[in-house]
Amino acid sequence: MEPVIHFAPYTGWVYPNETVFEWSVLIAVYPYLTGLVAGAFTVSSLYQVFGFERLKPVAHMALLTSLSFMIFVPTPLLLHLGHPERAFNSTITPHLTSAMAMFGFFASFYVALLILEGWFAYRPFIVAQAQKRTDLLGRFYRLLTLGSYDVSEHAMRYDRKWIFALAVIGIPAAHGLHGYVGFMYGSLKSREWWSSDLMPVIFLFSAIISGVSLLAVLYVATCKMRKIAVDLGCLKGLAYTIWAFIMVALVLEGLEFANIVYKGREGVDMIMQYVTGPLLVPYFVLQFGIGAITPFLWLSYMIWRGTSGKALIVGVTICACLVLFSVFMMRWNVVIGGQEISKTGKGLLSYHMPFWGKEGAFMAIALTLAPLGLLYVLTRLFPPWSDAATHAHS
Amino acid sequence: MTKESKPTLAARRAFLTKLGGAATCAAAGAAALAAIPGASAKTEPAADGAAFPTKDYDWTKHQWGFGVDATKCIGCLRCVEACKRENDVPANAHQFRTWVERYVHLEGDDEVHIDSQQDPVNIEASGSEKTFRFANRYKDAKVYKAFFVPKLCNHCTHPACVQVCPTGATYRTEDGVVLIDHGYCIGCRYCVQACPYGARYFNEEQGVSDKCTWCYHRITKGLQPACVEVCPVGARIFGDQRDKESPISLFIRNNRVQVLRPETGNAPNVFYVGIDKEVN
Amino acid sequence: MPKHIVRLILILVAVLAVAAIAKPILTVDSFYRFGHYRANSVPEIAAQEPVYQTPRYCYGCHTERRAQWSAGSHKTVTCEVCHGPATGHPQSGKLPIPTDAVKLCTLCHEAMPGRPKSQPQIQVAEHSGGQQCTVCHNPHSPKISSAATKVSGDAAAGKQRAAACASCHGAAGISPNESWPSLAGQSAPYLVRILSAYKSGDQTDPIMTPLAKELSATDIQNLAAFYARLSCKSADGSKSGGDAAAGKALAKNCAACHGETGSGGNPAWPKLAAQKPGYLVNVLKAFRAGLRKDPMMAGVARGLSDTDIANLAAFYAAQNCQSTK
Repeated sequence: MEPVIHFAPYTGWVYPNETVFEWSVLIAVYPYLTGLVAGAFTVSSLYQVFGFERLKPVAHMALLTSLSFMIFVPTPLLLHLGHPERAFNSTITPHLTSAMAMFGFFASFYVALLILEGWFAYRPFIVAQAQKRTDLLGRFYRLLTLGSYDVSEHAMRYDRKWIFALAVIGIPAAHGLHGYVGFMYGSLKSREWWSSDLMPVIFLFSAIISGVSLLAVLYVATCKMRKIAVDLGCLKGLAYTIWAFIMVALVLEGLEFANIVYKGREGVDMIMQYVTGPLLVPYFVLQFGIGAITPFLWLSYMIWRGTSGKALIVGVTICACLVLFSVFMMRWNVVIGGQEISKTGKGLLSYHMPFWGKEGAFMAIALTLAPLGLLYVLTRLFPPWSDAATHAHS
Repeated sequence: MTKESKPTLAARRAFLTKLGGAATCAAAGAAALAAIPGASAKTEPAADGAAFPTKDYDWTKHQWGFGVDATKCIGCLRCVEACKRENDVPANAHQFRTWVERYVHLEGDDEVHIDSQQDPVNIEASGSEKTFRFANRYKDAKVYKAFFVPKLCNHCTHPACVQVCPTGATYRTEDGVVLIDHGYCIGCRYCVQACPYGARYFNEEQGVSDKCTWCYHRITKGLQPACVEVCPVGARIFGDQRDKESPISLFIRNNRVQVLRPETGNAPNVFYVGIDKEVN
Repeated sequence: MPKHIVRLILILVAVLAVAAIAKPILTVDSFYRFGHYRANSVPEIAAQEPVYQTPRYCYGCHTERRAQWSAGSHKTVTCEVCHGPATGHPQSGKLPIPTDAVKLCTLCHEAMPGRPKSQPQIQVAEHSGGQQCTVCHNPHSPKISSAATKVSGDAAAGKQRAAACASCHGAAGISPNESWPSLAGQSAPYLVRILSAYKSGDQTDPIMTPLAKELSATDIQNLAAFYARLSCKSADGSKSGGDAAAGKALAKNCAACHGETGSGGNPAWPKLAAQKPGYLVNVLKAFRAGLRKDPMMAGVARGLSDTDIANLAAFYAAQNCQSTK
């Protein structure tokens, strides 16, 4: 049994109550999962709303990925609460001025939206299964049809309208949702490292690149598993998307850091000491160097040279993995890093992550991978493959 | 933030009822809600017309304030120990409702040395994590300037902690005290993060946030907060700002007082005298 | 409109309706009464019982102590600062009498950078040579007044006046019997204090009171000076009923004021070494019964049994009064 409270070692002057880290690795996992949701949904919307036809092979997958990750978004939060059984207090009596209370509504609304959009997208498939199957699963599909097997052109026209409307609402919802996560940190005036107007936008763009990267990796992996050829056009489409957004993400994060340094408000000395000391490797090397600049340059090179074939698949997959890692490091550096710089502006703390336990590394890894398990189940129930029997609209 | 006009609040509430209901139930279903014990706990409403919050105390008649005269503080830490005992604060050297900071400038050293009772050197001097004393660590050093500063929750007029609480488990009372409803707090610790003064901590055993209440259970019975009660040198001053002859009113009137981190806009209600530029 | 769309909308409306109904039902009663919080939590918090009780709580019983404390320089240091919170006392036990005075007193009085100049501070190592603070200072009124320590009597004049005392206390200040105290070598400030007390009526005794009333302030000074200079006589094997070894263990609690063997300490307080055991027993019992009044001793004697008293008396009676410990 590990001690109930972990006290953090510190240097310099920190407030006594700061020696306990209140937001652990789980709170870094949570915006990471939210980001993957928003990013994956972006891909789905690029296809559904903006007509990026080359993304069709991953469009349904994007929806399912978004849903599976969104369902797990509340888990790190619930595990972290002192009274998880009271979690609904924040929805029964939401405090309007609290970013966190409003987040609950955005998140719930978004889950509902994802389920609805998925339902419409898969309705022809659900109806077909309901008519074909007689087993327990058949019952499940029949329940989902809501008792209507109508897949006439008249009905499908309605469905398409709904899908379009939901996707249109979904874009601001997804991005609002994730921008809002950034606002939860950016709106706190207690910490110089968090308190920034750029925070929501930074979170949003890193979310997009992480989600798109996740889809790129999942797409390549599922193609290999199903032993089918990777659609290079689709992969290239994903690569362009990553490339375009990573540029914005890099610029924003660079600006954010430049702002802190240039404004040089009270406590900046400690921040400089921190970023050139304990944060040097996680921030500059891992998050920026390896995680963002490397894939950016590599993707630029491949786009410039028109790389194709196996080199493109390997290149994009590795770049996507690096981006996924970079974005996690970004979450870590914000959530944990913010708390490692004392509110006094005169001291630094250091967070030590336990491996086991409710808020340990194992739990963090498990929660990050769990959505993939759910995604596997969902792909069995609702195959997202566009090359298989046509089931979706259009 | 604290005083919203009634129609606005009602309108927002109505809107929230719809939006909140929709989202909540889409996500989990109303049945699950009903099963939440904490959420459905009912409490007896207080009888109308009687004084609130107790029959002998009417909170509309007071506006509390706290003063700290750092020039008087001797760093004996009796306040810290009394607070821990009075309020059942965890008996460790890491979580406090009130604490005392020591600022020391040494000759020929630009850097100010700051420590508090939780510093390992001071814990070694006290001999336990349950009792506190400042080690005489600068006894043989050439001290240019040194002083002690007691700290506690500032009971801000615009508290950042109340602003971020998602449930309404922390609030500012009519008599100017920021309290935490331990029966309603979900333990998200957003408030702990939001407080610029480090005044809040998380009580692991109870699973809720905690902080100074100005001993609300004492001041509503006509007593002083425990830290004020035990301070042997009168470095802590407490009283009703409505009463122009109260200790706190006189303290504010007769001194040039300042507050910590005014730039946050939190508008603290703990007033300091005799602190230096480094204190925040 | 296709059937499935209609049904979907119905489901959504139903969910919204359930939510709208659930919200007021699930909202706890007193929420929103004054603002965005549970109003009933305020009386709940206010109902918590105070732990620290303030000096007013102590006055009820400890009247003598109060008089002493409130007149002294420690009047801003309330009872519970040193004795801890009074909740539950006296019903569920005594409050601690701090044993390590050095540790306690130096919390405030150790010379430390940062302490305001107005605060009395000592260099701990140099100040007392490791003695307990209470050896010289009465914690309830710590200032050592010069009147109490300096006795400027004329021993020769005192000797003449002492002729009247000799029948009971012995010509050389060594009491011939068990019930009256020896006075030879006794601390002069103590003798002044106690005689003045008999004179003023603060202290009463059927024999001593009328005698002391006859004394002038000068007489008292002279007598004190005379007896203090006499040589005390150590244990002559006076037999007593107590167990000196057991008494020694108990006497640790007295050492802070009376010295380890009863012959050192605050001059305002009596030396006990080689005192008549019978007298010691009588006095302790008088303190215990409240017949003799002293704020410090009343508390100390209250917890002693008859055996304890006998043992203590035996221990002090057997000590060498020439040592200064």
